Amino acid sequence: MLGLPILILLLVVSGLAVGAVRLSARRRGRPERGQSIRLETTPEVARVADREVLTPADSGRAARLPALPPMSPLQTPAGGWAVETHGLTKRFGPNVAVDDVELLVPRGCAFGYLGPNGAGKTTLIRTLLGLTHADGGTMSLLGIGVPAERSKALGRVGAIVDEPRFYGHLTGRENLRVLAAARGGGAGLRIGSALTRVRLADRADDKVASYSMGMRQRLGVAACLLADPELLILDEPMNGLDPAGMHEMREMIRAFVAEGRTVMLSSHLLDEVERTCDAVAIVDRGRVVRQGSIDDLVRGRGTVVQVDCSDPAGAARLIDASTIAAEMTIGDGSLTLTLAPAATREVVAEINRRIVDGGISVYGLGEVRTTLEDWFLSVTTRLGDTP
Amino acid sequence: MTEITAISEQPSSTPGTDRDSAGRRLSSRPGSPLPTWGLIATKHLELRKRRGLLVAVIVLTLAAPVLVLGLRLLFHAVDPKSYAPAGSPSIFAILCNLLAEFGFIAAAAVGATAGTTDLTEGVFRHLVVTGRSRVALYLARIPAGLAIVLPLVAVAFAMICLVTSYAGAPPGTSVNFDGVSIPVQLDKTQLETWLLAHPAQAQAALGTGPGPASAGASLVRHQINTLYGDYVAAEPAVLNPAINEMAKIGGWLELEVGVGFVVGLGLGSLLGQRTVTLVLMIALEIIVTPILAGHVIPYFLDGQRIDVGVALDQLRPAGLAGTVGGGGPAGLFGGRGVLAIPPMPTWAMITVVAGWIAGWSVMGAWRMATRDA
Repeated sequence: MLGLPILILLLVVSGLAVGAVRLSARRRGRPERGQSIRLETTPEVARVADREVLTPADSGRAARLPALPPMSPLQTPAGGWAVETHGLTKRFGPNVAVDDVELLVPRGCAFGYLGPNGAGKTTLIRTLLGLTHADGGTMSLLGIGVPAERSKALGRVGAIVDEPRFYGHLTGRENLRVLAAARGGGAGLRIGSALTRVRLADRADDKVASYSMGMRQRLGVAACLLADPELLILDEPMNGLDPAGMHEMREMIRAFVAEGRTVMLSSHLLDEVERTCDAVAIVDRGRVVRQGSIDDLVRGRGTVVQVDCSDPAGAARLIDASTIAAEMTIGDGSLTLTLAPAATREVVAEINRRIVDGGISVYGLGEVRTTLEDWFLSVTTRLGDTP
Repeated sequence: MTEITAISEQPSSTPGTDRDSAGRRLSSRPGSPLPTWGLIATKHLELRKRRGLLVAVIVLTLAAPVLVLGLRLLFHAVDPKSYAPAGSPSIFAILCNLLAEFGFIAAAAVGATAGTTDLTEGVFRHLVVTGRSRVALYLARIPAGLAIVLPLVAVAFAMICLVTSYAGAPPGTSVNFDGVSIPVQLDKTQLETWLLAHPAQAQAALGTGPGPASAGASLVRHQINTLYGDYVAAEPAVLNPAINEMAKIGGWLELEVGVGFVVGLGLGSLLGQRTVTLVLMIALEIIVTPILAGHVIPYFLDGQRIDVGVALDQLRPAGLAGTVGGGGPAGLFGGRGVLAIPPMPTWAMITVVAGWIAGWSVMGAWRMATRDA
């Protein structure tokens, strides 16, 4: 009498469980039985050639980058890129948060993932870390395909996503114990040294509820260090920090890079990224619009020289009549020249000579440094110049 | 300038190396769905350090026995003539039934907390990015939470048993059974023999009135099962439960709170909201189950039986069931059940309880494995 409904109940539960596992496998990109996933370079990688791609040899900050062998953008370095995505896509309903992203992050540098609020920075990081599933594309961390080998890849990755949040009723040390237990292996042995490194050792036994934002950020970094990571992924690490805290975080990131670790950080704080990172990718409306070393990207706009003189229009005519190639803008008492990116200092001296020889008084002449912010604003669509 | 200190204690010299300086492997297969001891221990730490939750659980499990037995011990010590000894069979049964109700709710609260706080406090994503299997993270919560609620219920129950055994009234010698006094602790054969030897009392017990002795004897033999069932149900009112009966009751109590915890955990993980989960669990325990157990709903009998509370009520041991009424054949723990509905077979009860445990665990683990962190 009772057997039939119980049998039906058991069948329904079993069916739900099997369906759930299959759905989960599909959504997370796991291969089902008999289905294989290609983790190697795919034909889509060819599209990378259309973009500016940073290779370690390209970096203009060679002094800050560890020596790595030069390589073609299409050639996967030994051990793989720190982060590599091809055609990565993530949708929330009709909204495409991560749109066909091609990203190559070289090892051993600080890499900024830069974009305005809502550009999809955090979503990309969450997708990389397996916190949410991707709707398309392939990705790998440290040369290990995810999500297929997610556990293996994340074993060598430390990450802070959004603001670092912890159990407020536990102490900093206890929170790290929880996370170390989840990591397993030797993570528990690193708790003390990680706390010392982020200068939280003296507050380690206080409850996290009493920590400031900066202390929580540092505790988040300590949590990353439990993995002894090759790759750190930090989402907006400067958020909520005061200037001293930002400086401290910057120093810490540079120290990690100096140790041979790779740091990928997302931010909308252009100045901080420029000070901290060797290379950046600019993301706008879910798409990576540029990526490369900061120096190369900024220099790509050309050298800008401003001349304060008695007759800017006359000076412009003199330059125009010469062989110097420059775009010129005449201002109130000054002339601004945009030279080719490869222009040398001799060209600047030649400009000065021409104007002075033409009988025009020069009151000042100098190179206008293009900041990352100038460049960022010129390539993103937030100014409304591109639909 | 920030002082940068090297991580001197870390066992590996190269970032990401999973072997220590001695070459021993440090990784512990984070992709495995089986929880490690460390995971369980730290989840237990996290739950145990929630002062508010722990106080609530202690109050729900220990407050009633401590207050009732403490006051009865005190009153009896001060004025033994006016106040009966602290322990008695009826107090034992009342406190155990209270412990079952409150223990279930306390366990559900711990389960709901264990199933939701990683999410609500934003730690879930930190745990996920360690690479640890989400299923292992879920499964670690089960022993961690049970390690809190089961010992508390055991302490409360031990307290009740001790007071009942060592500070109780002397056990009664006879059971008042439909106006007839019958000696206690008879088994079925002994009861039949006693009734056959006392035909007048037997006829009174059967409610047949005076008649030929041979007819009475025939009726006793025919209805001995029913008579013995009623006798066993009346016995706990005058007799402290024996050790083996106490063990059964203790086992049943732990099963009740264990089920409460696992269902609360699964439901909490599924919904991701502690308050909603707790409200639903309390509603199940104090509204839905009493209705389903206490009323026969036409053409819905099997539906009523699928409620885990109904199955657990029928499993309720005789030492408790007798004090709250009801009837039916003996269950797994020797209980007679308290149901107004016809009893279900033991295998069905076990299937329902096991189904709830397995079903909610699967649903909770599935939601945790697929949820965006």
